[in-house]
Amino acid sequence: MVPPEYYLLLSAAVFCIGLFGILTRRNALLFLMSVELMLNAANINLVAFSYVWGNVTGQTLGLFTMALAAAEVAIGIGIILVLYRNFDGVDVTDATTMRW
Amino acid sequence: MAGILDFAPAIVLLPFVSFLVALSVGDRLPKGGAFAGIAATAGSLVLAIATVLTVAGGQTYDATIYTWAEGIDAVDLTFGVLIDPLSAMMLLIVTLIAFLVHVFSLGYMNDEGETGLPRYYAGLGLFTASMLGFVVADNLLMAFMFFELVGLCSYLLIGFHFREPGPPSAAKKAFLVTRFGDYFFLVGVVAVFATFGTAAFAGSESFPALAEAALNGEASVTTFGFEPQTWFTIVGLLVLGGVIGKSAQFPLHTWLPDAMEGPTPVSALIHAATMVAAGVYLVARMYGFYAISPTALAIIAFIGGFTALFAATMGLVKREIKQVLAYSTISQYGYMMLALGGGGYVAATFHLMTHAFFKALLFLGAGSVIIAMHHNENMWDMGGLKDKMPVTYYTFLAGSLALAGIFPFAGFWSKDEVLYETLIHGLGGSPLLLGAYAMGLLAVFFTGFYTFRMFFLTFHGNPRSQTAEDPHGVRWNVKGPLVVLGVLATVAGVVNMVPIEKLLGIGGIDFLHQWLDGGFEGLTAHHYADLIPYSSSYIGSEATTVAVGAAVSLGLALAGSGLAYLLYNVPEPIRHTDRLGRIKAVLYNNYYQDEYQVWLANGVARPLARVANKFDGGVVDGVVNGVSGVSLFAGGRVRRIQTGVVSNYAALLTLGLTALLLAFGILGGWFV
Amino acid sequence: MIIEALIAVTFLAALVVFVAPDEYAGRLAAALSALPVLGSLWMWAQYDASGNALLGGSIAFETDVVWLTLGGLDLHWFVGVDGISLPLIVLTTILTTLAIVSAWTPIVERQSQFYGLMLFMEANLLGVFAALDFFAWFIFWEAVLVPMYFLIGVWGGPNRRYAAIKFFVYTNIASLVMFIGFIALVFGLGDSVSSMRLPEIAQALRAGELGAFAGLDAATLKTVAFVAMFLGFAVKVPVAPLHTWLPDAHVEAPTPVSVMLAGVLLKMGTYALLRFNFTMMPDVATALVVPIAAIAVISVIYGAMLALAQEDLKRIVAYSSVSSMGYVILGLIAYTTYGVGGATFQMIAHGLISGLMFMAVGVIYNTTHTRMVGDMSGIADRMPVTAGIFVAGAFGYMGLPLMAGFAGEFFIFKGSFESTVHAGMPLFTATAMFGIVIVAGYLLFAMQRTLFGPFSFDGEYEITNAPFHDVAPLAVLLLLTIVLGVAPDLFFGMIQDAVNPILTGGGL
Repeated sequence: MVPPEYYLLLSAAVFCIGLFGILTRRNALLFLMSVELMLNAANINLVAFSYVWGNVTGQTLGLFTMALAAAEVAIGIGIILVLYRNFDGVDVTDATTMRW
Repeated sequence: MAGILDFAPAIVLLPFVSFLVALSVGDRLPKGGAFAGIAATAGSLVLAIATVLTVAGGQTYDATIYTWAEGIDAVDLTFGVLIDPLSAMMLLIVTLIAFLVHVFSLGYMNDEGETGLPRYYAGLGLFTASMLGFVVADNLLMAFMFFELVGLCSYLLIGFHFREPGPPSAAKKAFLVTRFGDYFFLVGVVAVFATFGTAAFAGSESFPALAEAALNGEASVTTFGFEPQTWFTIVGLLVLGGVIGKSAQFPLHTWLPDAMEGPTPVSALIHAATMVAAGVYLVARMYGFYAISPTALAIIAFIGGFTALFAATMGLVKREIKQVLAYSTISQYGYMMLALGGGGYVAATFHLMTHAFFKALLFLGAGSVIIAMHHNENMWDMGGLKDKMPVTYYTFLAGSLALAGIFPFAGFWSKDEVLYETLIHGLGGSPLLLGAYAMGLLAVFFTGFYTFRMFFLTFHGNPRSQTAEDPHGVRWNVKGPLVVLGVLATVAGVVNMVPIEKLLGIGGIDFLHQWLDGGFEGLTAHHYADLIPYSSSYIGSEATTVAVGAAVSLGLALAGSGLAYLLYNVPEPIRHTDRLGRIKAVLYNNYYQDEYQVWLANGVARPLARVANKFDGGVVDGVVNGVSGVSLFAGGRVRRIQTGVVSNYAALLTLGLTALLLAFGILGGWFV
Repeated sequence: MIIEALIAVTFLAALVVFVAPDEYAGRLAAALSALPVLGSLWMWAQYDASGNALLGGSIAFETDVVWLTLGGLDLHWFVGVDGISLPLIVLTTILTTLAIVSAWTPIVERQSQFYGLMLFMEANLLGVFAALDFFAWFIFWEAVLVPMYFLIGVWGGPNRRYAAIKFFVYTNIASLVMFIGFIALVFGLGDSVSSMRLPEIAQALRAGELGAFAGLDAATLKTVAFVAMFLGFAVKVPVAPLHTWLPDAHVEAPTPVSVMLAGVLLKMGTYALLRFNFTMMPDVATALVVPIAAIAVISVIYGAMLALAQEDLKRIVAYSSVSSMGYVILGLIAYTTYGVGGATFQMIAHGLISGLMFMAVGVIYNTTHTRMVGDMSGIADRMPVTAGIFVAGAFGYMGLPLMAGFAGEFFIFKGSFESTVHAGMPLFTATAMFGIVIVAGYLLFAMQRTLFGPFSFDGEYEITNAPFHDVAPLAVLLLLTIVLGVAPDLFFGMIQDAVNPILTGGGL
């Protein structure tokens, strides 16, 4: 059995990659992907602990999250399309109409 | 026992009804509601006569008729009617003068085609009603309330011609100056309640009686940490503030000459029977309270004597007939205060009565002259009116003789008694009173002079203007009141011929003394005589003192009048007072009393208010706006982290989370 | 159930008027607002309770049902009136109707919404005066601000936004401070109370059942809570120096709104002070007598001095409200029958008279379109009836005897002069009384300059008599003022009855 620390390390690595993507990229699509990465990092944790404890609740929650992620992507793509239509691009730093 | 005295409230209510009638339907009545007023005051007069007759029969009346505020576990505040010899006499005077003034107004207002008559008669009715309510008041609170209503009516009537600039200003001044005095009065009323728990005038539970008992150690009252004597003096002086305001005593006399802006019949009413009389009447009403305080009495006497002299000097140089009369009123009320302070309760009341008659007469006479002169009041435009208006002339002469205090006119008797009482009490060991007496005596000379200066300038000599040559005639409604008052001014002295009694030894002709010695125990002249802290002393015998006093005052009055005769009873009088030079300027400007009071209002109060306003807008509101400004500014800065760039938000989020984790870690000791 | 009916009818009326067409919204609102007037007068006629509602007296028209159960502290729907609140309810209904009538001329835009908000505010005001449970009371208390905010902010003068926001934020922050103070008390009482019903809390506090809370011992907690609540309510009153929202709000608000603001909303502050601070914690109040009396005196004199400096008729009346409400504080702190009773009476009297003055200024403004003293003179020549009522109202404000203002002021003066809470009370009273001279000064000056003298007016408007429906509310208010001045016992009896229990016990 793989010790849980490895799962946690994997999860942390995936999460940090996602975070790095969000902090450094300006492309909205990359943003969306990075968010997915972070979400899945959490999923890894859920599944890993579920496996360790022998309790399926965590896996159920993981499935839930996937469904949620799908919905999220649908909305996210929608937003990106609107972004593209309004700002002629998908650079998130252009869309600053909501600033102070 | 339902006697005539049970109808006493009707004396007050009748003029009030006439006020309501004139106010509501006056413009639909003939003469603008004048007849309602005349009928009401006539009714009051009849009732007042009946009251006086009943009181003469030895009856008195003191009953609560309305509970204004019923205290639960606290004192009741009530309205009551107190009829004793003093108030009965005052009722008679007020109703008589009010009735005559109403009649006179027919000639002065209606015949002259004034507009706004319903307002005028409503004002007169309310004025009379308020004064009568004040007169019959059986407690200090009720007295104060009607005192204030009197002030309101004076405001309304002085400002009757509100379309001109002068009258509203004069009305405002009259109300404001008397309000200043009334402030002290109101504090006094509240203090009386707090001290005694009652403000009743009469009875063993009245505040003068309680005060007397407290001084004798027979009753305990709240004196707020002062000696009872000191505290009663303070309270008495507080109430006196109202008196000084309403009775136009120095230094609150300045409103009265300005009040001449009102219609002349109103001036007559104010000066003779209502507003100005109210102050002195109040002191007489609660004389038992003042009599136990030597300090208060001394102050009253000194203010009175000083005012008598002070106002008389100003009257010397005035050009307008009503102005002279105004200053004479101030001066004469000074005499009454002098008498009250000097222990001459009866003398003061006596002078109040005679003065009411002759001053009403003089004002109505002046009104008649003013009608004749087409509302020109400058005496230097008059002259020679003697032959053209004989009724006015002779009645005015009677009034002038009474004012100057010439034997045997009414004013002589009362003024003589005022001075006599002050003299004997002064000789009895009160040098302060002697000083006040000296001032009063000196004022007699000036009174004679200004009275006859006015008289001769108006009626004698050659006419000095077109209108004086062909004056406007006056009708019965002017002459009638003049004749009635003329007779009274001549003979009213017989009610109290003390000098005759003392000199010739005829007992029992001091009717007024006997009259005021009746009524409630504790409110009698006799009782007051026991209370006052003065002893009497005489020059030689009592009779000699009487004779000397009378001779001196009569001599001075004659000297003053004679001087006026010499200077002004010539065909073409010249302005002798101009020779006084700078003194005249000072006198003509009333010792610059108005200036400093106007300065107090405009030079002190208003700038202070403006400073307060600046402070309010700058500092107080500034702090409020400052707080909001700081919040807005801080918000304006902090909101700049809201850049709109999603990456920045994400960075902030991450940093925040890291910071939180670090904080938890350090505080939670994870790193140890 | 009459109180629920009263509040419900008013709410319904507000809804109906809100959707009614503009053409007859004003008439409809006036007609509907007559219902609460009748209801409150019926209550007044039927009133048979005695004692103070908070201190175990019988409560008239009482309803008490559990509304929500929140473990330990229940929320009740608990309403009822006693001799303190009933007069205020009568004042509220009458003044609202008159204010609505006085709005017919000046309000020309969005009429149905205006009248709807007026009625909505009335309903909440009735709730404030009738509620005896803190939670319900607080909801009504806060809900009054909302219509007021819109009434000033939408129908106000040129600077209306500033005034409306200032009013709302200032009084709302004050409510917050007060709320914290009160809740601290409730927690301090702990298990000795089972609900937020005011009588329960008042009696527990007076019985000394307060415990320590938040690190403060009972005595400190009580003082801190008292001060917090005093500050919170003082803004509403308002007392100097927390008054600066008032002149701005008054100047910007349209006339009928000013009438409600001065006539009823200010009374919420003094009513709450009486109900909360002075009824629940008399021991703290008397311990703090010097600062409180000083605040009262400063409000009276400072407010009057400010009024003296104003050139805008409405500002004059607004600042003089600060002055008049100072008297109320002075009466409350006196802890005598006449003092506290007079303060309550003065709330009614000032409501009537300040309403009258604001309306009179409004009627003049309707015709001249200016309120500046220097812009006109001799108006009495063209508007004699209005001028006459203005003069009468001004004298009422100056405390002319036989008008309601004098009764209130005299009761207060008498009560506070003879008060035994502090040896300096006579001096405080005498100083505050000097306000009656200053008030005469500024009103007489203003009247002399605007109403009297030769007629002159710079504007282009023709100045004629005001329409009947403008003058009628003035006449009604004047009449009420005189009636209450001649017969103060109409209210004063029940007020004293409700006030007297406050004056004994509770650490006094």
